[in-house]
Amino acid sequence: MSKKNDKPTLWERYLTKEIGIEFKACLYFYALLFFYCIFRLVCGRTDASIWHMAQMIFSTYVMGYLQVYVFWNFDEADALQAKEILAMLLCTGIYTGVSYLCGWFDKNPVATLIFAAYVVFLYVCVFLVYRTRRRIDDKLLNDELQLFKTRDKSR
Amino acid sequence: MKYSIHQITEGEDELILRYRELTPEVERMIQFMNRGQARLSGKDNGETVLFSPEEVLYIETVDDKTFAYTKEKVLRLDMTLNGVEDYLKDISFFRCSKSMIVNIDKVERLKSLPSNRIDVMMQNGEHIVISRTYASEFRRLLRGWKN
Repeated sequence: MSKKNDKPTLWERYLTKEIGIEFKACLYFYALLFFYCIFRLVCGRTDASIWHMAQMIFSTYVMGYLQVYVFWNFDEADALQAKEILAMLLCTGIYTGVSYLCGWFDKNPVATLIFAAYVVFLYVCVFLVYRTRRRIDDKLLNDELQLFKTRDKSR
Repeated sequence: MKYSIHQITEGEDELILRYRELTPEVERMIQFMNRGQARLSGKDNGETVLFSPEEVLYIETVDDKTFAYTKEKVLRLDMTLNGVEDYLKDISFFRCSKSMIVNIDKVERLKSLPSNRIDVMMQNGEHIVISRTYASEFRRLLRGWKN
């Protein structure tokens, strides 16, 4: 039952964290892109700017790092407390600022405000998804624990 | 495999295993017999005591000293944590951090934490957090992928 030789290396640990950030970047990029596309469609346009998409990918990647290393990975937190809500609002503020400066929504203040609300909603949804996943994982873990104890005793 | 059970009225209880080849089944039997035999020696208020590893909740190293925690007491062991880990490798003990080995049989509940960590609640109500580094191996162990 020892695990001396199976301990992940520093590189593997870094890679695990990096994959987590990449996953976050993809998740949020698709969510931003969805809002962006809806905005374009509402405005009667059926094209999307590659330059805007590149900015979105870059910003979600940077925000992924910020969330993980600076903002306590708040969207995966156990509970949404003051610290997490503050981090959520700060990240929303950064996304909103970037969207305005880069003109994702033609610097339209109403669209930008709706976008800010959408980002908050998105963070809450992601938080709930992670929490639900952990609850399911709890059940699996405890079932496996009981099975392990029974199996171990029968050996 | 044939086996026979005899009840005796005198003398010590005894398990005898006779085998021709060391098959996995026989190995499992030996493991089972060994686990009943394994004893740890520790110091409790200056007195040396022998106790079964099955009483232990977890074993921890603090300032290069190794301690075994049972429900009632804390015993200082003469062995290093790596030594204890090797000694108990066939029993349900898991190295859950650099400085701790936990007895899975004494785990009350598990809770999944953010960043793939696991909170372990022991039978005495204490909580131990298994970091992501060790959590994957712990999950594999529970699923029986490694013995």
